[in-house]
Amino acid sequence: MDEDYVKKQEATIRNVLVKNLMESYVPFPLDKKIATQWAYAINVPRGGSTIIYTSYMYQMANVFKSYEKYVPTFGSLGSSKIIASIGAKLIKPKEEDIKRFNAILQNIYRIVKRSNENIGYLYEEEPYSGSLLYELGFMDEFKEYGKKVFELFKQHKVSNIITIDPHTTNTLTNLKKYIGFDIPFTPYLNLIKEAKGTGKFVLHDSCLYSRFLGMYESIRTTIRSAGVELVEDPTVTGKGAGFCCGGPVGPLNDKLSNEIAKARAETLTSVNKDVLVACPLCYANLSEFCNVKDIAEVIA
Amino acid sequence: MNWSQIISLVSAGNYMEVEKILQDYPYIVDMADHLREQKLKVIANLDTYVKRTMDSVEKLGGHAYLAKDKDEARKIIGDLVGEKKTVVFSKTNVAYEIGLREFLQERNNEVWETDLGEYLVQISRGWPTHIVAPALDMTREEAAKAVKKIDPSINENSKIEDIVAAVRKFLMSKYVKADVGITGANAVAADSGSVALVENEGNIRIDTVMPPMHIAVTGIDKIVPTMRDALDEVMVQAAYAGIFPPTYINVTSGPSSTADIELRRVSPATGPKDFHLVLIDNGRLEASKNEDLKEALLCIKCGRCYFSCPIYRTLGKEWISTKSPYNGPTGVMWNYITNKDPWPASYCVHSGGCKEVCPMKINIPEVIKYIKFIGSKQVGK
Repeated sequence: MDEDYVKKQEATIRNVLVKNLMESYVPFPLDKKIATQWAYAINVPRGGSTIIYTSYMYQMANVFKSYEKYVPTFGSLGSSKIIASIGAKLIKPKEEDIKRFNAILQNIYRIVKRSNENIGYLYEEEPYSGSLLYELGFMDEFKEYGKKVFELFKQHKVSNIITIDPHTTNTLTNLKKYIGFDIPFTPYLNLIKEAKGTGKFVLHDSCLYSRFLGMYESIRTTIRSAGVELVEDPTVTGKGAGFCCGGPVGPLNDKLSNEIAKARAETLTSVNKDVLVACPLCYANLSEFCNVKDIAEVIA
Repeated sequence: MNWSQIISLVSAGNYMEVEKILQDYPYIVDMADHLREQKLKVIANLDTYVKRTMDSVEKLGGHAYLAKDKDEARKIIGDLVGEKKTVVFSKTNVAYEIGLREFLQERNNEVWETDLGEYLVQISRGWPTHIVAPALDMTREEAAKAVKKIDPSINENSKIEDIVAAVRKFLMSKYVKADVGITGANAVAADSGSVALVENEGNIRIDTVMPPMHIAVTGIDKIVPTMRDALDEVMVQAAYAGIFPPTYINVTSGPSSTADIELRRVSPATGPKDFHLVLIDNGRLEASKNEDLKEALLCIKCGRCYFSCPIYRTLGKEWISTKSPYNGPTGVMWNYITNKDPWPASYCVHSGGCKEVCPMKINIPEVIKYIKFIGSKQVGK
């Protein structure tokens, strides 16, 4: 491994991330109009005690994937509001991606609304969870930023959170452990009742859901209960044999991230041609190499 | 086959093989759980257990040493071996950790690795790819090309059996004149001073009994409270490495001895007259006192976590390279313990497969996250 490059990259990422997060609650310049339009379109109530928490993960997944490429831009833009607004225009998701994540977010919202009529959303005031800080090992910064996120939720009188991706769920789990974040949270997959779906897939487990958050079995039960067929091969989808999509190493080494994604896609498609994922970052990484759908695209 | 093809095949094979072994021999899981508890006792009182182990070895008529670091370990072993000797090595990662083979060669000793994989790595001037299977990345053709150097009858079309036979013939010529056998240890029993080793090839058996001097060199993390625990450790290690039952389990308790005349135990007998145990600290004691790191000392070096790791499966030995013989998820922890090198941790993608397959239930991602944190504090602001 190229140790010097890793050191340099880690230093740049930390500086960019911390500066942006501490000033504007997002990891890099982001067009919040685009990120929140899914909710405006279906009139999701603003605020409320129970909220759906996107943490911008579906909206930013493709940017995260190219983080290494964007880091110099993020660094040079700084994080003042004017410059950031210009940056947000430069780093814009593609139209097809916007359409796709809007549909996914709206579907997830409709699914969870069946278990609770009163679910709101913080829109532009929603903070990013800080996952990247935790996953890159910047623990001091993670705890410091986590306290800000916790305070923000308390200011909005949030008392119940529905998470929609594994990275945010895992981050809140760790905020609970490290800073006493005590607002209850539940992944939307655990709230699904009477959903319907079709198709035959091999499930690419989210590492975090299946091996850190104890959801390996429950995700399968949820998907199968909806009518979706899952094909298993213990050497590919077994709990100890599963494989990462390559996403988490992307910020440090895009090439390595892609090699992992390609290898994972090859083994998955040796089991079944269509792949199912539970995480927007897994989708962003694997979709270049195989036919992938998010769970929220096949069940409703 | 390229690396990606080899490692995919081997990983899937190991996963299924271990699953089958655990079904066929269900008591292995209970042994692993018990072993974890016993090893935790040692980690909590490592100083005491080191002393107890050394006392036990001395009681057996052997000699025990504690080396605080690589230099001290090389000096102790260098003095024991001397110069112009023939030395046979069994596979020992600790010897790589301290650079022992090269050190002894520089002192005009003839040194040969006797584990087939390690021997292939030695004659290819390479570096071990995997903690249990050092030549994992070599194809039959590459192995044949390497062995051709010592046996011209071997060529690219030679069968694996012929390659193995050629190495066996070569090593036999070295065993008969070997002055010193150097092995590692899968476990060392504190109560008896016994060293337990597991293998399949039979080379360790010869290394430990044929030369007049046997030196076992290992880390203090390999100490377990009792002989029973030592035997548990070799069984668990073999099962999770995917080869069970192992062909040989060797226990060495001091120099060779006999009680055949008047039931009075005397030493030596047919085997070695000298037995030396060199225990190496090299960061382990410090790690045992670090709450975030100490679980790493539970590792029994079965190498199963390598196969579950996306980064190892992609980069192979290039991940940690020649900085350490330890690679893969456990290697990230062990490279840090022994070299204070936090950087390979940066690549960890926290896939979590390592903790799922670990027989010692080490929360490897959590330890690696701590090492990442140490690294992050060292990058410029």
